[in-house]
Amino acid sequence: MRSGHNWILIPLMLVLSMNFSFAQEKLVSGLVIDQDAVPLPGVSVVVRGTMRGVQTDFDGNYSISVSEGEVLQFSFIGQKTLEITVGASFVINVTMEEDVEALEEVVVQGYRSATREKSSIASQTLTSQTIENRPNANVIQTLSGQVAGLEINTATGQPGASPTVRLRGINSINGNTSPLFIVDGTPVDENNFKSINPQDIASIDVLKDAGATAVYGNRGANGVVYIKTKQGAYNTPLQINYTGILSFNSLQKNDYNLMDSQQQLTLENERGAGRGATLTPAEIAATPTFDWADYFFRTGLTQNHNLSLSSGGERFSQFTSLGYFDQEGILRNSDLKRFSIRNNVGGTSANDRFRYGTNISINFSKSNDPNAIGTQAVNQNYIIGAYNSVPYITPDDYVDGASLLDPLVFANTPLFLIDRLRNFTLLREELKMIGSFNASYKIQPQLTANLTMSADYQNEFLTAARRPESFNALLFGGAENPTSGFQQQASTRQFSYNQVTSLNYENSWGDHSVDAGAYMEYFKAHFRQFGYTANGLDPKTFYPGDGSGLIPVRYDSDAEALLFVDTANAESLDAGLFSYFAQVDYDFARRFGFTGTIRRDASYRFSASNKWATFYSLAGRWNIHNEAFMEDLPFDQLKLRASYGKAGNQRIAGGGYFTAPDLTRNFYATGTGYGGFNSIFLSQIANTTLRWETVAQFDVGVDFEVFKRRLRGSVDYYKKETTDLFQSRPVSAINAVTSLNANIGSLTNQGFDFTASYQLIRSSEPEGFNLVLNAVGNFNETNVGDIPTENGQRGNPDGITGTRNGGILNEYFVIRYAGVNPANGNLLFLTADGEVTENPNADTDRVWLGKNLIPKWQGSFGFNMDYKGFFLTTQFNYVTGVDRMDFDLQTFQDPNNIGTFRTSRDLLRAWTPENRITDIPSYGASNRDAYTFVSDRYLREADYLRLRFLQVGYKFPQRYLEHTGISRLQIFGNAENLFTISKWRGFDAEAQTNTNLLYPTPRIFSVGFEIGF
Amino acid sequence: MKNTKNLLTVILVFIGLTACNDAIDIDQKGRLDAETAFESVDDLQAGLFGVYDQFDITPDIAFQSIFTDELSIGFDNGGQGLADYGFVLNAGTTAPETFWVNGYVQLNFANRLIEAAENLSAEKIAEDPDTYNQILGETYALRAWGHFILLSYYSTDYTDDNALSIINLDFVPTIDQQLLRNTNGETFALIESDLTKAAGLLNGDLGVKRINADFITALRARIAAYREDYVAAASLAEELIAKYPLASRLDYEDMFLQDSDGEVIFKLERTNNDNYDDQGQTGSPAAGGWAGSCFAFVDATITGSPYFEMGRSLFNLLDPADIRYTVNVAPSSLIDPDYETNQNPELDILVIQKYPGSEGQPLMNDLKVFRVSEMYLIQAEAAVAQGDLGLAASLLKEIRDARFGTDTPLPVLGTSTLAYAAILDERRVELCFEGHRYLDLKRLGTRANKAVSKDAVDCAFNGACSLPPDDYRFTLPLPSVEFNGNPGLREQQNPGY
Repeated sequence: MRSGHNWILIPLMLVLSMNFSFAQEKLVSGLVIDQDAVPLPGVSVVVRGTMRGVQTDFDGNYSISVSEGEVLQFSFIGQKTLEITVGASFVINVTMEEDVEALEEVVVQGYRSATREKSSIASQTLTSQTIENRPNANVIQTLSGQVAGLEINTATGQPGASPTVRLRGINSINGNTSPLFIVDGTPVDENNFKSINPQDIASIDVLKDAGATAVYGNRGANGVVYIKTKQGAYNTPLQINYTGILSFNSLQKNDYNLMDSQQQLTLENERGAGRGATLTPAEIAATPTFDWADYFFRTGLTQNHNLSLSSGGERFSQFTSLGYFDQEGILRNSDLKRFSIRNNVGGTSANDRFRYGTNISINFSKSNDPNAIGTQAVNQNYIIGAYNSVPYITPDDYVDGASLLDPLVFANTPLFLIDRLRNFTLLREELKMIGSFNASYKIQPQLTANLTMSADYQNEFLTAARRPESFNALLFGGAENPTSGFQQQASTRQFSYNQVTSLNYENSWGDHSVDAGAYMEYFKAHFRQFGYTANGLDPKTFYPGDGSGLIPVRYDSDAEALLFVDTANAESLDAGLFSYFAQVDYDFARRFGFTGTIRRDASYRFSASNKWATFYSLAGRWNIHNEAFMEDLPFDQLKLRASYGKAGNQRIAGGGYFTAPDLTRNFYATGTGYGGFNSIFLSQIANTTLRWETVAQFDVGVDFEVFKRRLRGSVDYYKKETTDLFQSRPVSAINAVTSLNANIGSLTNQGFDFTASYQLIRSSEPEGFNLVLNAVGNFNETNVGDIPTENGQRGNPDGITGTRNGGILNEYFVIRYAGVNPANGNLLFLTADGEVTENPNADTDRVWLGKNLIPKWQGSFGFNMDYKGFFLTTQFNYVTGVDRMDFDLQTFQDPNNIGTFRTSRDLLRAWTPENRITDIPSYGASNRDAYTFVSDRYLREADYLRLRFLQVGYKFPQRYLEHTGISRLQIFGNAENLFTISKWRGFDAEAQTNTNLLYPTPRIFSVGFEIGF
Repeated sequence: MKNTKNLLTVILVFIGLTACNDAIDIDQKGRLDAETAFESVDDLQAGLFGVYDQFDITPDIAFQSIFTDELSIGFDNGGQGLADYGFVLNAGTTAPETFWVNGYVQLNFANRLIEAAENLSAEKIAEDPDTYNQILGETYALRAWGHFILLSYYSTDYTDDNALSIINLDFVPTIDQQLLRNTNGETFALIESDLTKAAGLLNGDLGVKRINADFITALRARIAAYREDYVAAASLAEELIAKYPLASRLDYEDMFLQDSDGEVIFKLERTNNDNYDDQGQTGSPAAGGWAGSCFAFVDATITGSPYFEMGRSLFNLLDPADIRYTVNVAPSSLIDPDYETNQNPELDILVIQKYPGSEGQPLMNDLKVFRVSEMYLIQAEAAVAQGDLGLAASLLKEIRDARFGTDTPLPVLGTSTLAYAAILDERRVELCFEGHRYLDLKRLGTRANKAVSKDAVDCAFNGACSLPPDDYRFTLPLPSVEFNGNPGLREQQNPGY
C-alpha cells in the first residue's frame, strides 16, 4: 500500500508544480506581418531558452503563455529573426523584415561559401526539394534535366547504375569527362552513388566556370558537383521524420512493330527457314503468340523507407538518418537493396571560437546485376531473349539445360536464357563509408585555421556463379571441366584519404571587404583487389557464395589433362596528389568584386615527366542593382559576372583514380606465353612527355531577379578549350600497335546555359493558388582541332565515326544509304561524289555527315503548382541533336534472322517484282550484308521530349494537424518517364550509345507519404 | 591559445614537408622496367616464348576457309561471317587489318628480342652460349616466317621481284617512322638472310613445336614454290620427304584427332590456359582462339553448334574410304545424298571435325604449319612446272595410297593444266581448313583453270558462288587503319581497292 501511495503522489506533485508555474504567466497575443504589411502565417514564436513555442495561424495571429521578462523569438524563413522582451502589454504585434542575407542562399565557392550576391562564379544550386522523394536509387539520375549544362545520360535500367555525367560538353576524348563529386568536403568516386541515400541530401551545388573550378586544380576541369548532406540545427527540439515510398517500374514502349506468330511462321515458311518451313497454314494459324518481353521484363517493385531524427542544443546539433531501399529492376534477376545510416554532428566551444563537425555515413548494398547486357551472346544477354525471341516458342517449352543441347538451335534463345536466369548468379555486395571531420579555430577575430580530413572507403564483393547443371555449363564444359560450372569471387577495396588545411583571413573596413585563404591539400588512394575463379562445382552442395561444392583440381589420366583448373588474381595500386593554393575575394560596397585563385598541383601520374602544374582563375562581378541609377527599376538583383581561368584533368586515360598510373615508363611484363610457359613481353611503350589536359574557360553571365523576385534566373555564355588533349595518335602498325596516346590536339566547347523561373501566379492568400514556371537549357557544340594525322581526319575504331579538324566530336563518317533500287531490290548508296551506286567503296566513299551522338540542345521545363495544400510538379526533359544507330532495328529487319529470331512487320514491305517502290530491300539483295555497318542506313534521329517527372500530392495544412502530435504530413504520387515523344523507335530514346541490346530505363509510378513529429 | 596556434603550425609544416612525396612519387608494384627485362639467357628464353606467342594461324584458317569454298553456312549460324562468305573485302574489313597488324606485332616483338640479345653482356652469354644461339636462331627464323606470311597476303605477284611487297622490318622502329613498301626482291632477300642466320645459330632439336632446321627447309620450300623457283622448291621438298615419311592412316587420324606428331614438321602448340585457350572471335578472320571455334561454338559434333559446315563442293571431293574423310567429317554429320533435290539444310549437316579438341578442351588443337604431305605436293607442282607430269602423278599417288591405305590408281595428268588442277584439288582435300585454300587459288588457280567454286546449294541465298583466281580480291588491301598513321602508304594501295 505504501508503494501505491508513492505512485499517486508523483503525478500530483507534477500537477501542482505546473500550476504553480502557470500561475505566473499571462497570455500574450498579436499579429505578425511582413514589411509589405502582409500577414505572415507559420511564423515560429518561441520563448527563448525553452521548448515552448507556437506558430502564427493563417491570418498571422498567435497567442502564447509567457512570463514578463522572458524573450519571444519570431523566426520565419527569409525574414530576420526578431527578439522581443515581454513587458506589461498583453499584445505584441510584430513587423518582420526581409533578411537579404538569408534569402540569398549561400553559394558554395569550392573550399568556402559566399552569399549569392557576393558570389562571382557561375553555379547552380539545387535544394532537397527537387531531390527528395524521387524513386531513383542513384541521386545522379534525379539530377537529369535539373541543371543547365549538366548532362545526365543513363544507358541502363539496372537499379542504381551510374549514369554518364558531363557538364557543359565533353572536355576530353580519352580522359575523364565526369565532374568532380564532393560530399561534405570529401572527394568521392563518382561511380558509386548507388550507395548514397538521396534522402540525406540537403543541397547540391554545381560549379561551372573556371572561377569556381580552378581552385580544384587538376581535378577541376570538368566542373564540380558539391553535395551537402542534412545537418541538425542548434536550439531545435527533436524532429522525427519518416518517408515511405512505393514504386512500380515497368518497361517503356517501343515502336518496332514486331511480328506475331502467324506472321513470323508464314514468313519462315516462305523463306524455308526455321520451324515455319515445315508447318502447314493450319498449323501456323493454331500457334499462339508469346511476347518474350513480358517474360524477361516485369513490373518491378521498389520500397523506400527513410527515418530521420534531428535535434540541437545550445552547443551541439545532430542529424541521424536510417534508410532502406529495395528495388526490383524491370529485368528479371536485377535488383538493388540498400541499407544506409548517417550521423552528422556539429558543435562549438563555449566562446564560439572553436567549431567542429563530423559527417559519417555507412551504406551497405546488395545488387543482382545481370552481365553481358549489350553483347550479342544469345546464351548470356537476357535482352536478346526479351526482344529477339521468336513468338511461337513459349516458356512451357523449357525443360532443363541438358535438353537444350540436342538439337542446339538458335531459335531456342529464350530457353537458353530462361536456363541462365535460373542457374546464373551475379551479385555485388558493397560496403561504402564516407566520413569527414572538419574543425576550425578562430585565432583572431579575422583569422581562422581550418582542417578537413575525410575518407571514402568502399569494398565491393562480387560473386558470380554458374551452376553445373545449367545449359551453359553443359555446353562449354567439356572433359576439362566435366561437372562444369564455376564460381568467381572478387573483393575490391578502395580507400581514399583527403586532407585540407588552411588559414583564412576575413576582414572589412569601410566599403571594402576581403576574404583570403591559403590552403594545402593532400590526397592518397589505395586500391586492393583479389579473387579467384574455381572451376568444377558439385551440384549437391553448391550454393553461390559458398565453397562447399567446389571440386579440387586433379589430373585425369584418361583425358591426359588437369581437370578443374582454378585461377587466382590480385592487384595492388596506389595513387596520390598534393597541392597548395590560395584564393582572395574582394568586395567593394556590394557593387564590385573579384575572386582570384592560384593553385600548384602535383599528380603521381606525371611524377616522371611533368610533376607540377599551375592553374589559376580570375572572376569579377558588378552588382548593377546596387547602383544608384537602378533604384527605380524593378530589379531585386542584377549581376554581371565574367571569369577566365585554367583547370586541369589529370585522369587523362579515363577510369578512376588508378588508371594509367605510370604511362611515362617503358614496361615489360611477365605472364603466360607460348605453350603455357612463363614469358616476358612488351607491355607498355613509354610516353616521356606525358602531362595533364588543360581546360581554359571563359564565362560571362548575368544573374537577375526582377519584379519582387517573381522572375529569377541567369544566362551564361562560355567557351572552353582543352589543350594537350590526351588522345590516340595513329602510328604505323610496325610499332606493334596502331595508335599510341599522346598529349596532342585540342577540343573546344562553346555554348550557353540559362535557368529561369517565373512565378506566374502568386497568391496573396495563404493556401491560394500559386504557379511557377521554370526552364533550364544548354546549347553546346564540341569541336575538334589539331588532329594528329596528315589529313586532319581520323576514323574511330567503331568504323562509323571519326573526327576531322574543325568538325564535331565523333562525327559519323559513313557511306550514305540511298534506298532500294526499284529495278532489282538491291540497296543503293551514294559515292563520295553523290553518284548512286550499288557497290560503293567502303574506304573512299565514306563522307562526313555533320551528325553525332552528342546533344546540341538539352534541358527541361515544367511548372510547380499549389493550391490549398495540393501540389503538382512537372518536369519535361528535352534533348535535340542526337543521331544514333538503331542496330536493334537492324536485327528486326535483317532477313538473315528469319527462322531464328523475331523480325519486324517492316519486312512485309520487302522489295518484290510486284512491290518495287519500298524502303525494304529484297530478301536476296546481293549487297545487303556488305555495307550494313558502314553506312547510315540505320542512323536515326533520337531527339526527344519526355515527361521526365510528374508529382501530385497533398500537404495537410497545419490546422488539421493541431493536437495530433504530427507536425507535418503529406502524401504524394509521382511518375518518371511517363511518356516520350521521339522519332526513335526503340525502347529508350535516352541512351546515347550505338550499342544495341541494352537494358532500357524504366517508367516508374510511385506513391508515398511523409510524416513528421 | 598560443599552444593551439603552435600545434597548427607544426601540423601544417609537418604535412608540407613529408606528405608531399609520399603522395606523388609512387612506384606501382609488379612493374618490370625495360632496362631490367632481359638480364640473362633465361630471360631471353622467356622473351622467346613471348615472341612465339604472337604467332597464330587461326586467322589464316578462318579467312581462307570462309572466303573461298571450304564452307557452307551452318544450320546454327546466327549471322557469323556472312560478309566474308559473300566475298566482301575492302580496306575496312577485318581480314586486312588482322593480318597486317598481327604480322607487325610478330616482327616488332622479334626485333625487340634480337635487340635485347645483342645488348646482353658477353659474360652473361658465356654462361650458356648454346642456348643463347638457339634462342637467337629461333627468333630470326620467326622473323623470316612473319615477313613471308605478310608478303603472301599483300603482294600481288610472288614471282615478280619488282612488285610491291610489304614494309621490311628488321629493327625496332620509333613511333614517328612512316615507311613505304619494299619490293618482293628486298623482302625475300631479308627472309633469306634471316633464315641463313637462323640455320647457323640453331644447335638443337626441341621437337616439332619449336623452330628447328627442318622448319627452315620447309619454309624455304614453300617460299620457293610461291616464287615458282621450282628447282629449289623440288630439292628442298625432297630433302624433307626423305626425312619424314607420310603418316599411316592411323597416324594421320591421331595427328588430328589426338594431336600426335604424325608427319608434322612444325606446329604451334596450343594448350590449356595459354593465351589462345578461349573461343576467340567467332565467324571472323580475327579468330584468335581455339582452331575449331572457326567453325563451331561448342564442339566438333552436330550438337556442338556448328555455325559453319563443310562446303558441299569440298565434301563431294572426299571419298569415305579416304582417311581424310574420317578426319574431316564428324561421324555425327547428317548426309543427304539427295541434297540437291531436297534443298533442306536440316537434312544435310556436314560437321567439320578437323579440330575436335585436345587435353580435355573441345575445339582446341595444335596448329599444323608444315606437314610432309605439303612437301610432296610442292615437289609435284615443281615436277609439272618442269614438264615431268609422270613424276607429279606418282607423287599424288603416293599421298593417296597413304591416305586410302590401298594401292590407288595412278592419276592421269594429260596436260599441265590438268596436272595443276589435280594438284590443286589434292591440296584442297589434304590441306583443307589449315589455311591454304585462298593462297593456293591465287597461285595455282589460273594455271589450273580453277576458281572458287561453291556448290549451288551453298550460295543460293546470296549468289556468291564463285570468284575467279585473277580477281583483285586474291590480294588483300592494305588496311585503312595503317593509313591513319602512315598516310603515304595510301598511294601504294593494292589494285582494285
